[in-house]
Amino acid sequence: MSLFEKLNAIKDTVPHYWPIGAFIHHNPLKGFEHLNFKEALDKAQDTFGGKVYMDSDYYIGLLNEDKISAESLEKNLLKVLKEAHLEKYIEQAKTFLLEVSPLWGSYRNYEALKTSKIDETLHNYLQTNSLHQDKEAWIGALTKHMTLYEIHDALFETSKKELIEKDVIEFIARFLDQQQTTLSMTDRDLGMFETFKLYENIDYIIDAEEFVQEALDTLKVQDVQTYFLTHLLKLHGWAGYIKYRSEAKEYYAQQVHPSTLMDYIAIRLHFEVKYLQKKEVRDFEKLQDYIKNNTSYVILKLLQEKGKLTGTHNDAMEEHTAHDEIVADYIKDEINLDSLQVQLAQQATNLQTMTPVEFADFANLLKKEEGYIWLKSLEDSYINIHTDAFTSTHHYDEKPLSSTVFCLDVRSEVIRRKIEQTGPHTTYGAGGFLGIPISFVEFDKPHALSLAPAVIKPNNIVFEIPTEAHEAYNIKKDVKKTTKKVLGDLKNNPYTPYIMVEAIGWLFGFKLFGKTFFPQKTHRVFSKSKPLKPKTTYTLDKLSPEEIEKYVKRLHTNIINEVLATQFDTGLSSADIMLLWEHLVYDKPLKIRISSDIIDNLKQAYHITSEDYEIQKINLAKVGFTPDEQIAYVENILKMIGLVKSFPQFVIIAGHGSCSDNNPFESALDCGACGGSISLPNARALSMLANREEIRQGLTQKGIIIPKETRFLPALHITTTDEMTFYDTDILDMNELQIFSRIQEDFNKASRTSREERAKVLPNANDEKDLFTKTMDWSEPRPEWGLAGNMGVFAGPRDSCRHMTLNNRLFLHSYDATIDNENADILTRIFDGPLVVGQWINLEHYFSTVDNKVYGAGSKVYHNVVSKIGVYNGNYSDLKIGLPSQSVLEEGRAYHEPVRLLTYMEAPLETVAKAVENSVAKQFILNEWIRPVVIDKVAKKVYSYEEGEFIVIKELD
Amino acid sequence: MLIDFILLFLLAGVPYYLLLEKIPFIQKDKIFPIAALLVITGMFVSCIFEHKSSMPFIVIAFFASLFSLYKANETNNLHKLTYYILFFNAPLLIMLNTKESILYGASLIIALLGVYLMGRYYVKNYGSANYQSVTGMTLVSPYAGLILTVYFTALALYPPFPNALLFLNGILKSEINTLWYIVVVVIFFGNFLIAVRVMAKTVFGKPNDNVHYIDISPTERVLHLLIVSVLLLLSIIGLQEVIS
Repeated sequence: MSLFEKLNAIKDTVPHYWPIGAFIHHNPLKGFEHLNFKEALDKAQDTFGGKVYMDSDYYIGLLNEDKISAESLEKNLLKVLKEAHLEKYIEQAKTFLLEVSPLWGSYRNYEALKTSKIDETLHNYLQTNSLHQDKEAWIGALTKHMTLYEIHDALFETSKKELIEKDVIEFIARFLDQQQTTLSMTDRDLGMFETFKLYENIDYIIDAEEFVQEALDTLKVQDVQTYFLTHLLKLHGWAGYIKYRSEAKEYYAQQVHPSTLMDYIAIRLHFEVKYLQKKEVRDFEKLQDYIKNNTSYVILKLLQEKGKLTGTHNDAMEEHTAHDEIVADYIKDEINLDSLQVQLAQQATNLQTMTPVEFADFANLLKKEEGYIWLKSLEDSYINIHTDAFTSTHHYDEKPLSSTVFCLDVRSEVIRRKIEQTGPHTTYGAGGFLGIPISFVEFDKPHALSLAPAVIKPNNIVFEIPTEAHEAYNIKKDVKKTTKKVLGDLKNNPYTPYIMVEAIGWLFGFKLFGKTFFPQKTHRVFSKSKPLKPKTTYTLDKLSPEEIEKYVKRLHTNIINEVLATQFDTGLSSADIMLLWEHLVYDKPLKIRISSDIIDNLKQAYHITSEDYEIQKINLAKVGFTPDEQIAYVENILKMIGLVKSFPQFVIIAGHGSCSDNNPFESALDCGACGGSISLPNARALSMLANREEIRQGLTQKGIIIPKETRFLPALHITTTDEMTFYDTDILDMNELQIFSRIQEDFNKASRTSREERAKVLPNANDEKDLFTKTMDWSEPRPEWGLAGNMGVFAGPRDSCRHMTLNNRLFLHSYDATIDNENADILTRIFDGPLVVGQWINLEHYFSTVDNKVYGAGSKVYHNVVSKIGVYNGNYSDLKIGLPSQSVLEEGRAYHEPVRLLTYMEAPLETVAKAVENSVAKQFILNEWIRPVVIDKVAKKVYSYEEGEFIVIKELD
Repeated sequence: MLIDFILLFLLAGVPYYLLLEKIPFIQKDKIFPIAALLVITGMFVSCIFEHKSSMPFIVIAFFASLFSLYKANETNNLHKLTYYILFFNAPLLIMLNTKESILYGASLIIALLGVYLMGRYYVKNYGSANYQSVTGMTLVSPYAGLILTVYFTALALYPPFPNALLFLNGILKSEINTLWYIVVVVIFFGNFLIAVRVMAKTVFGKPNDNVHYIDISPTERVLHLLIVSVLLLLSIIGLQEVIS
């Protein structure tokens, strides 16, 4: 097995990390999805440490609040006991979970140990099963996931870890920088390892893989694969980002400054070898010799490092007592404390019929299983409540005036409910990208944004182009851009900030003062200075080959003209430029005199070559959609949400985004189905297509008849304030505008009542007006609760859940199983896009809540943006993955209720089974990373997928 | 001469704890009460018998103090730390005028008494007064964290805690010479370093998952509140003294 293969075999253990500018919610344990959820969590805990379930106190609180039903708890507890043939102890097991388990740690009590008699049989039993008997295995367990330098630090009280990781972070942060600094590292185009060689003066020819082999030989590493994993886990945020880059070939930063995980490992090993080279223990063989000669000392130092050595033994270490003696005392004390813990727990459980040894096994079983028992009981309790509500009968017959398609995002739930309550309006839910994945180039922006779920790569490019004169906009924009650039350069240059602060720092005081004390007024003043974007439209049609040819030629000749004028102070006529271009691209003989410097410059620096000509043509061929694609995309979305007949006069397609200030995690609040961007472009593109006469004709042939008077209008839903802004209303005539103004009034009312409802659960919000302040308050760590609280997804007709108050907790995807085909293609598409995104969001929230230190980003208070790719703590630390504590916790307590995604599907069981079989989500569905529940109204049964089969949990009348 | 010799011993100028640590039936937690008692006796003696601080004795105490500083930096045991800090401050107790020495000594002993009691709390809940594995108290045992912060901030000579004010009062009112500079600088920074080292290790940092944390009981809280009140009173006295 080559080193690359060994690295590839373990790299997926590290979670993917997307740059923060396009925050993608993801499952931090994606690399474990091939395992069953419960098994994977045990393994992840072993790998990453930390918690994978909430503490029992938390679940007991939910039981007391009736969020966990006693029946569900008993059912799940009984199942575990039955498997161990202990079902007769159900009452005692309940006592253990509710009363004993929360105090479990306190039973290892030093005071009580002085006065308690330890049961000898129990003591012997625990001693026999203890790892302490085999010192080699014990050291193996203690050094698991430790690098050589960490072991060295533990044994000799050095600080190599700090030095090595500081050096590693310093280099990679500078290499991966995306223009945060004005003094960029040079030679980055050589790639990460080659640049590193220059910086560390490694002056012989060697590639990263060979270098790693050399370092592994020097360190005498036995198990290379495990050692790779150990190194990757040290800074798994950085490793995750480098992994993401190395796999995202289209990622611009990776294209210009390539990096691989092998490069990263090479850098880490280089520093490890460098800092240990003169030390007594500088390789694993020497470590083994040292351990052999100082076994007890090594055990004690490792225990000390892990915080496992208790006070009295630390005292003994200080007093230089014989190490063998201390280890023997430690083992004795540990076994005594373990025995005491079992004995006191047995007394508290009042289970005297068991021997202490039997109780030890009983307690171990419950401690091992309690996290999953509580989690499943919580999920089951919600499933019972929800299925009752989903299956209750409600009819809504009123013909709607408008139908609004929202993103299925949980944050649409309240506003949808409010809109439906204000008048004759219906709503639908769909993936925020609306089934139309696009690479979107916004007007006046240089790069394309991928507006699709991270798992889908868009094949169509859409340009936003102005439809009216925009000189005023250009002037304002140029001024703003120049000011921003100058200030940015002054701020990020290491020398200028001192002078800048003295000279113009006071000017910022006005904004600082205003934003702190009068955020709304200040926002109003500054927003007036923003350039007003002109009216725009999108390039939705394919370009003809002639047009493509023409545009590429124009692009190249413009570049040539610009380069000649600005860099070489030369002017050529159009005809001469054309001749020069033909020479560069078609290699035709040059009939005019041009210096070879200019030609080389144009070829090398500006890529005016035949290759680039072909690349540009391929890229331009991706612009827009073919007529068939246009019809297919509109058909797909309408069928996906079940809107295929009885069209109202207005169909509003709403994208969504969020507004906040001073928030590096802002994109985490935008549309997850659009790769962490605002989904308005998808809504506009879809509305434009659906309003076209030829598309409607095409749809008619597919059986979808959209009346002539039906208008599709795009809108933007701001999730922080629940405001709705409508776009492209200029397509409406006067009569339509009058009717539409009534709809707008209803929507405004819905926005207000929605804010009122949400203000009740947001900290520091007394009324709906405070929600506006939160969007512009630069000190606000929680502009909205975002996706916190998400717990499930419902795919089915809106009428089944329209009566429910779901408090922004369920993703709502409209789906009509009766129009799905035999292969369940529509449901499969829902699984492939929205369900995958929903699962990522859900599990990111789950793990960020259960252990924010390991799987989350910690507190926002300590965050600094690094290299414009993420945040870290202070001056250097690991790149923070996951969500900040403010997104999931409230005053240290969990606001988000961590449960797996409760996935309700209103469809026949066979349809669901087919969709699961055909879907990319099959693995995580079958491995129970979500909780599938099928509401089969045809068979009149509700099924839950548990342990490999669909079991009936409810019979319908 | 004799009184100087007696005071050198009573005011912890010689590290007799080395002997006490070797006696098997005297446990480590008994040494601070013994030493504190002797220091208090020394205060009485210095009140009764008029004397002037003697240079050679201050020098002896200073070298012993440096040794105690070394010992304080070697231990993670709160009980040991209490008498090491007491012995570390001995040159100041000997060097200052009687009134200032008594006031500074009183505030030192009161703050160390608080630390000593916190050591007992560690023994009760974590098996020993050694805090090496008991990290991040502020996050998991907020009361214990707060109380430790108060005591060690006082010992680190941060104003407006009494130790800082009475230290300032003492040095302002004593005779200045080269030795004075050396002693004042070493004691000032030494106290700071010892206290900050302890705070960094046990008060702050990441809580240890292997430890079951228990916060101080309501009774203990009352006891510590009393000690903090006495420190507050001494702060007021210290402020008056400095102003006067």
